[in-house]
Amino acid sequence: MNDMTSLRLESVVKKFPQREGSGEFTAVDNVSLDIRKGEFITLLGPSGCGKTTTLRLIAGFESPTSGRINLGGRDITMQPPNKRDMTMVFQSYALFPHMSVFDNVAYGLHLKRLSRSDIDKKVRATLDLMGLGALATRRPNQLSGGQQQRVALARALVMEPQVLLFDEPLSNLDAKLRVQMRGEIHRLQRRLNITSVYVTHDQDEAMALSDRIVVMNAGKIEQMGKPEDIYRYPATRFVADFIGRANFLDTKIQAIDDNCAVVSAFGQTFRVPLQQTPFSVGEHATLMMRPEAIRLAHDPSAKQVRIESAMYLGTEVEYMVMVDDQLWSVADTDPRTGRAFDEGATAGMTILESSLHLLKASH
Amino acid sequence: MKKLTVMLIVFVMVIFVLPLAAQDQTLTVLCTPQEDWCVAMTQAFQEETGIETSYVRLSSGEALARIRATADNPEFSVWWGGPADAFIAATEEGLLESYESPNAEMIYEEYRGSGTWTGVYVGALGFCSNIELLEELGVEAPTSWDDLLDPALAGNVAMAHPATSGTAFTAFWTEVTLQADALEEAEAGTGYDEDGAPTQAAIDNAFEYFAALHQNILQYTRSGSAPGRLAGGGEVAVAIIFSHDCVKLQLEGFQDVVVNTFPEEGTGYEIGGMAIIANAPEMDAAKMWYDWALTADAQAIAATVNSLQLPTNPETPISELSVNLDEVNLVEYNFAAAGASRTELVARFDSEIAPEPAE
Amino acid sequence: MFTLQRTLKDFRRTFGDPVLALGLLVAVLFVFFTILLPIFSMISAGVSGDGLTSLQRFITDPVYLNIIRNTIVMGLTVALGGTLLGFLFAYVQVKVKAPFKRFIHIVALIPIISPPFALASAIIILFGRSGLITKGIFDTRCLWGEGRGCNDIYGLDGLTLVLSLSLFTVAYMNLKGMLEALDPALDEAATNLGGSKWHIFRTVTVPMLVPGLAGSFLLLFVEAIADLGNPLVLGGNYEVLATRIYISIVGLFDTNAAAALSVVLLVPSLTVFMVQRYWINRASVVSVTGKPTGKPQQIEHPVVRWVLWGIVMAFCLLIVTIYGTIFVGAFTEVLGVNNAFTLSHFDFVINGYGAEAMTDTTLLSAIATPIAGLMGIFIAFLVVRKPFPGRGALDFATMLGIALPGTILGIGYLIVFNNPIELTIPIGETPLVIPIIPKLTGGRALLGGALAIILVYIVRSVPAALRSGVSLLSQIDPAIEEASTSLGANNAQTFRRITLPLIRPAFLSGLMYAFARSMTTISAIVFLTTPQTRIMTAQILNEVENGRFGNAFAYCVILIIIVLISIAILTFLVGGSSAATRGLQGGR
Repeated sequence: MNDMTSLRLESVVKKFPQREGSGEFTAVDNVSLDIRKGEFITLLGPSGCGKTTTLRLIAGFESPTSGRINLGGRDITMQPPNKRDMTMVFQSYALFPHMSVFDNVAYGLHLKRLSRSDIDKKVRATLDLMGLGALATRRPNQLSGGQQQRVALARALVMEPQVLLFDEPLSNLDAKLRVQMRGEIHRLQRRLNITSVYVTHDQDEAMALSDRIVVMNAGKIEQMGKPEDIYRYPATRFVADFIGRANFLDTKIQAIDDNCAVVSAFGQTFRVPLQQTPFSVGEHATLMMRPEAIRLAHDPSAKQVRIESAMYLGTEVEYMVMVDDQLWSVADTDPRTGRAFDEGATAGMTILESSLHLLKASH
Repeated sequence: MKKLTVMLIVFVMVIFVLPLAAQDQTLTVLCTPQEDWCVAMTQAFQEETGIETSYVRLSSGEALARIRATADNPEFSVWWGGPADAFIAATEEGLLESYESPNAEMIYEEYRGSGTWTGVYVGALGFCSNIELLEELGVEAPTSWDDLLDPALAGNVAMAHPATSGTAFTAFWTEVTLQADALEEAEAGTGYDEDGAPTQAAIDNAFEYFAALHQNILQYTRSGSAPGRLAGGGEVAVAIIFSHDCVKLQLEGFQDVVVNTFPEEGTGYEIGGMAIIANAPEMDAAKMWYDWALTADAQAIAATVNSLQLPTNPETPISELSVNLDEVNLVEYNFAAAGASRTELVARFDSEIAPEPAE
Repeated sequence: MFTLQRTLKDFRRTFGDPVLALGLLVAVLFVFFTILLPIFSMISAGVSGDGLTSLQRFITDPVYLNIIRNTIVMGLTVALGGTLLGFLFAYVQVKVKAPFKRFIHIVALIPIISPPFALASAIIILFGRSGLITKGIFDTRCLWGEGRGCNDIYGLDGLTLVLSLSLFTVAYMNLKGMLEALDPALDEAATNLGGSKWHIFRTVTVPMLVPGLAGSFLLLFVEAIADLGNPLVLGGNYEVLATRIYISIVGLFDTNAAAALSVVLLVPSLTVFMVQRYWINRASVVSVTGKPTGKPQQIEHPVVRWVLWGIVMAFCLLIVTIYGTIFVGAFTEVLGVNNAFTLSHFDFVINGYGAEAMTDTTLLSAIATPIAGLMGIFIAFLVVRKPFPGRGALDFATMLGIALPGTILGIGYLIVFNNPIELTIPIGETPLVIPIIPKLTGGRALLGGALAIILVYIVRSVPAALRSGVSLLSQIDPAIEEASTSLGANNAQTFRRITLPLIRPAFLSGLMYAFARSMTTISAIVFLTTPQTRIMTAQILNEVENGRFGNAFAYCVILIIIVLISIAILTFLVGGSSAATRGLQGGR
């Protein structure tokens, strides 16, 4: 095991009995994961993909059907959650409603049997760090959602755990606050350098916060990597579709040359750099392009497409265009242009070769 | 939560420690007459002897059932009051202790009972009727058992359940005796067997009578004196109770409400018994009670609570309000035979008569 | 095999905490010895030997079939009457615009603290053949009809009236909660679509309440057929199973026959319990809608409004009159015969065994109540939060404590605990005898039989605590407890520092109800009292059976005062912690 490894999941499987009937449902299917010290990992996926179950397995609220979990070299698979030196920030915040903010944050320290003065010092410091110093005597129900979220975070941070676990902590906040809190979490985590595992279904959050993103689907890990890699080089069509928007085109590999696949589309030939996935000549593949990698212009020589809809969003103009018989999404992010094409108009479409990516054919 | 825990501990201590501390000399009396007499008797005994005396009031059938059920570990030491039939039944089952009280000689000879029990009072059965209700129903106060079968009295007669009440059993046995007399009169040897006990035919006839009476009964109460209260409260017209209980009612505010009558063909009577329970937990105190309860002083307590049963100690002054048994036609009440067949008869009554729906 | 192993593994992990494992063991042993064992012993006594002979007679003899029919008919009429009354009160309370609602609510709650026999005795005084109202005002001896064949208070009609009045509170609370939880948007939607109020009532309100109505109906049915006190006083010739069981014990001490009759009584009770558990609860959909968003619409139609209100107020008046009669009767020589003021009844009660009965009853109830509360909450905690095999069975067995008639439990105790329970191991000449449970009932019972009574009180109260615990715990986000665990607390610490404080206020109000229930229970303990342990309700029974209503009323007044004072004390102890209740919603 790597010295830098903090948390390790080895072939973890979790099955639940089916509600009706006697069958079983596999929530987490053979997941292995190494998390380095100080790393911020996000488990990302649609609901029901097993990300929350994975987090609860790490926390110890569930026990794996098979597989092992290591923390700092110790096997903690069968250890109860209160002995694991991890703290969790919950989606519902789970503040103790009958305690003041101060007592909420001090709760874990009391259980550690720290001296009163130590507790006082640590709680004050953490509350100040979170900008909650003035609210120490309030009850949770007297706080705003953002403040409650901060208290929940403070309560977890004050324990100085080896691993900090987040279970969709921002999903109950409104959009503005969510962006703001996400920034704060990012700052704090970098500053305190605590190993963190973060569960969300929001790809923006995942990209903004993570060192690495683990995309999960149907209990399995689809792809694991840095946010840029996941976005630019998704391993599967599922990942490509789940992270951001993507347009797909079926194609055939004509040649492979200098680790680049040669494919043709709309009568044009493109050279697409290959990543890990191996391809062979003559293979059917799917060409993926992001909306922002497509340009529309009044260019009769380019591929002609029909504008189905055009929405002005401020940061971009989002077009839905009919390409042959598929509806594609195109984003014009040039700040200088407004809505250049009206609905029903025809435009010439060009594709940026450098942003193309090849996927295994999906069918 | 802490407060609760402390409270809990205190409670538990109290409940465990108190009974231990109270392990002085005590006496538990099984008392069958009316409650206020039980109170007066136990209080007087406690004052006299310093023995902490408590009682539980149970009607005689209940008392007998309870003594039987707890024979291995008796709860009571002495059983005081209630018709002698139940005492005789208990003696047959070996539930009572033999005791020769030095004071037994004070008692009229005919009430001295056997070795296990002694009579402490005597009283006759009668009808206690609500004057106003009788008038409304157009019925005279009953003077014979057959008067009770008058359809005008439907749902207007109350008596206790013979299984629980000695009073009701006395009424039942009275009817058995009357039926036996009638049979005997028709044909000698059919009413009584060679031992002088009523025959099965007499008993069956009595059951027939109570089956007919059942149509007029409102309710079988548990306690023998309770029907009197029903008559006093105007809930029934006629109650079959001991005449002294009717007099007691009259003295307690119902003097213009109820009237006390007797069946002319003959009525039953009770000898109120007293006995020590076999293996009594408080044997010494029980004997003290037994001796004391036979004295004139103890028997005089009855009148202070309006219980006008006739005392069995000739020295006891008799209230002029008491029913004079010489003026009442009493049946030849065979206590021994009554006691011997009691258990069987009440079980039969309970399954044959009581649960039947009335018309 | 694989599944079984894993189940075991899960179980080991869940109960790896010794405190939790010990708690589970205690709960299981408690349920086994105090509920299941007595019930099984009672059943086995009823279906074997002499019991079987009696049982065969009871289910073939037309006389007993008639008694069984009487019992069922009474159960049905009371269930119908009580549910209707409860619904009427709840509907007026929630949906009708009318004055004195607070008064109506309080009057509807009064019967909870009603001692047994109080209502029946007062009803006789008011509506009996020489009742203050029947005879005094209307100069009749009947409730309806006239002449000799008229219907008086004794029998089915009187029983239905009294039992409906005593039991309708449960239906009222149940239906009131449901009516309040009904999403007003439903009403509004229906109105929007052009429905009249009557149409809405028929097509929206009632169908939504069906589970509640059915649940109340079944609950009242069981309570009615289990009731002992009222048929004893008011039954007249209307015999029911409960009174037959009672006479079998007190008059004949025939435990086998009593057990056989109890088996007969057990069948409808158990059936209803099963139906309620597996059908009604599943059909219940209303509570899921959560907090209503709008304000409930109220009936303003003058005729409907005032007629409904008038009926409810009439019943309120009746209840108030009845309780007034109890109070006045306690201070009157013989109400209706001699109306002079007197304190002699109180004198009798306090100088007789009343004082002892008061302290004994209060003490035993006060000991039983917190134990029952904690036990109930703990079992609720296990059932809701710890997914272990057999939790359904634990919940079911615990609920049997209240689902079955008290007489059944009482007879079970009499059979099981009349002798010490010992484990005899035949080793050598003198076999080794290990005492497990000492003799708890009858003569020379442990603590004068007090322990058996405490156990019965606990067994009868735990189910209520369990149900309220389950519903309270379901309202608490499990994440709150997980948060505590994640911060390093073990199960016991979490339970004590987080769970208990959160459910405390509602839990304590549940305890008050349990306490009142223990103080007023009769059927379960009537066979268990001993000379050393006197229970007020049994004393009241004694007075009522001897026709001394004045003394009985004095007891009732004292009993009511004790319960009210206890409630006041508890409220005082709990006071001010309503913040936590508010927090339950605020925690999110």
